[in-house]
Amino acid sequence: MSGAQHVISKLMRESLMDRRVIAGTEAPVRAILPNLNVVQIGGQSIMDRGQSAVLPVLDEILANQADYTQVIGVGPGVRARHILSVGLDLGLPTGALATLAAKSAAQNAYMVSCLLASHGFVYLEAPFIVQLLPAMLAAARGAVFNGVPPYDLWEHPPALGKIPPHGSDAGSYLVGEVFGARSVILIKDVDGVFTADPKTHPDATFIPEVKAADLIAMRLQTLPIEPVVLELLTRAKLVKSVRIINGLVPGNLTRALAGEAVGTLIRS
Amino acid sequence: MLTDLGRRLVSGSLSDESLMRATENTPNLALVPWANVVKIGGQSIMDRGRAGLMPVVAEIVANLPRHKMILGTGAGTRARHIYSLAIDLGLPVGVLTVLGTAVAWQNAQMLQYLLASHGIAFLEPEGFASVPHYLMERGAVICQGMPPYKLWEQNPDLGRIPPQRTDTGCFLIAEVFGARKMIYVKDEDGLYEADPKKDPSAKFIPRISVQELLKLDLNDLVVERAVLEIMLNARHVREIQFVNGLKPGQLTAALDGEPVGTIIYNADAAKGSTP
Repeated sequence: MSGAQHVISKLMRESLMDRRVIAGTEAPVRAILPNLNVVQIGGQSIMDRGQSAVLPVLDEILANQADYTQVIGVGPGVRARHILSVGLDLGLPTGALATLAAKSAAQNAYMVSCLLASHGFVYLEAPFIVQLLPAMLAAARGAVFNGVPPYDLWEHPPALGKIPPHGSDAGSYLVGEVFGARSVILIKDVDGVFTADPKTHPDATFIPEVKAADLIAMRLQTLPIEPVVLELLTRAKLVKSVRIINGLVPGNLTRALAGEAVGTLIRS
Repeated sequence: MLTDLGRRLVSGSLSDESLMRATENTPNLALVPWANVVKIGGQSIMDRGRAGLMPVVAEIVANLPRHKMILGTGAGTRARHIYSLAIDLGLPVGVLTVLGTAVAWQNAQMLQYLLASHGIAFLEPEGFASVPHYLMERGAVICQGMPPYKLWEQNPDLGRIPPQRTDTGCFLIAEVFGARKMIYVKDEDGLYEADPKKDPSAKFIPRISVQELLKLDLNDLVVERAVLEIMLNARHVREIQFVNGLKPGQLTAALDGEPVGTIIYNADAAKGSTP
């Protein structure tokens, strides 16, 4: 390419769409914050239930504060479902729906940060996660963030329908993956993954541990995790599993933080 | 007060395929259907400096009275340098995205200096609610092409380079605004069966469906693979066009709807109902 003013590098003049060039970039990745535990509190499953479900989860987070560095992602819940419904009715594109729905998770995260404030937790918006998370974890006792990733108008149109595919499960997982976190734990209101929805199928079988690729192949009708997280796990570099636990059962979070086999572990 | 679909959304699971299917046939509102998204290549145009960039700037200015343009910028050679360095340091893909975004930002800022005398503004992702206003008032607006994924960028299937860069970011802007055109200004006439810079006998492809192109499984492409994958699911953007910015008049021709360069189109039926 004559005419361009290049900086000398291994990738100079190369097409970054060329598979041979891309394959040549494979190399080990360093964990930036290897002691971090990402704990995500479900929106509809925990937050929307109010204090009876939320406060015991927060108490358990605080009980583990001295032993584990935790950043708390929070999901959106029923208000996001409502604005998705109105937005779909109006014909808004997926990127607009994602921008709107993310605000519901921000509200929930802000509420959680208020409830944990006296224990030294801070609320960090996405730009502050990028710039300040290590400093905040050194100065504060923990951090709370909006679980929904900041894809906003740039959210992908999904393969089927119009609902934004990257919700708070995906955002919390991606925060764990980029920092090389010790664990990613998703707190829901079910014990984990079942062969069918246990709320409607009492005969459903519990799955304590499963590979993401196998779970995709099972094509279950519903899952307690966003399907896109299973795909992300198949491409994991550092965080090679996600654990789903029931936050309505006291002690589950403590066991999960300790690395015990509780809930369902989904592996890459 | 909820619609039937709304009642299912409020009580159902978003991982339920039948519920997702029920959202398929909802209307598509094009927010700014008269806007054109034009991406100015990083390595292909910006890095050439005056010789490559000024004729493109002149053509943009000439089109200001006739076409509304969202101008996105690519990253280019400085991104290649920092990607190489950051990979060597063992940094993850999300960090590479933060670093690459800064390069696209530099290029957007330079483009804004060149268009400043025409009153053209540069908007960051946080300011995108003002895009329609600037388009109406000034005819164009500048943005950096990277999607604002930052640390939340996803790992690629292969290697360590962020898979969703400025081609993808600009495509998603066109999709969310329901734009009239998505035009990529690069330094080649369009798509070839191999990289024409390395293989001068490579065959030119003037028009091809995204489905056919994916089936060809080419080793190299004129556009990020993520754009082709997302294009299959897009509800507004039906085709994307690639023109040679080193040939005067090609951008204008593309804005006027002429089939210059290469057009990649979606051969599937459009999704959703029109309100």
